[in-house]
Amino acid sequence: MATTTAAVTLTSDLLSDNMSVSASTTCMKAGTTADGLDQMEYGYLDLPTGDEYDLIATTPTATKASKLYLKNHSTDETYYIAVTQNAQAIGKLYGGDWMFIPADFHDAAGDIAITASGGTNKICYALFHEGTVLVTT
Amino acid sequence: MATTTATITLSSTDLLSDELALSTTATLTAAGNSTGLVGTSGLGRKKLASGHAAYTLFDGDQYANGAHKLYLKNADTTAANYFTIEINSEQMGKLYAGDWCFFPWEANADTNDIKIDPSADDMVLEYMLFIDE
Repeated sequence: MATTTAAVTLTSDLLSDNMSVSASTTCMKAGTTADGLDQMEYGYLDLPTGDEYDLIATTPTATKASKLYLKNHSTDETYYIAVTQNAQAIGKLYGGDWMFIPADFHDAAGDIAITASGGTNKICYALFHEGTVLVTT
Repeated sequence: MATTTATITLSSTDLLSDELALSTTATLTAAGNSTGLVGTSGLGRKKLASGHAAYTLFDGDQYANGAHKLYLKNADTTAANYFTIEINSEQMGKLYAGDWCFFPWEANADTNDIKIDPSADDMVLEYMLFIDE
């Protein structure tokens, strides 16, 4: 079984007491503790402005426990990537921001799409999944 | 200025032929500038029951359009139990037991609520919202 670990630490001095929250999970296939996610797609690319693009070229198997990591590597704080799913806005990743979500690609319209703003954004992404539905030529 | 950071580490020694070791830290700032986020919900914990409409965890009507960031964790220990995460009723994904997620939330419309739907009774959700005020 492949073992992939995702850990997060959040720290802040916003509150009267300094905050530090940590969590770690092993990325497993849907509904099991016996088998880890064993496939991965990883990329680093330039994202030009002007159009919306599907982030993932092939469609991961629907309603599974895929995990998506996405980071905006732009250094200009005014640049951002608008992230949507099935045309529904999730949020904007500004330069330096990252996100990590469960993405179950519940149907053919459930793609994660991204649009650059400000200029060409540089992004890094990783999708951990259980398999993809290949598109025939 | 308040400083809030979020660090992710993705690691695996056996998924690929080479070790995967990715780590990055973001300092959470307001939309389009370098001013640190100044609001938070604080760390919260809820026990939820299943069998009805999804719970509205954060109401889009209550937040301005901004660079909010949301942390969620399924604190359940039964592997098959999950929370379905929805934004404006669009299903983002399922957070299985032990899993966490962290993502930007734009709240760009009153209807862009964050909703949580547990698959079983008495599941525990941990959450924290960092607010761009």
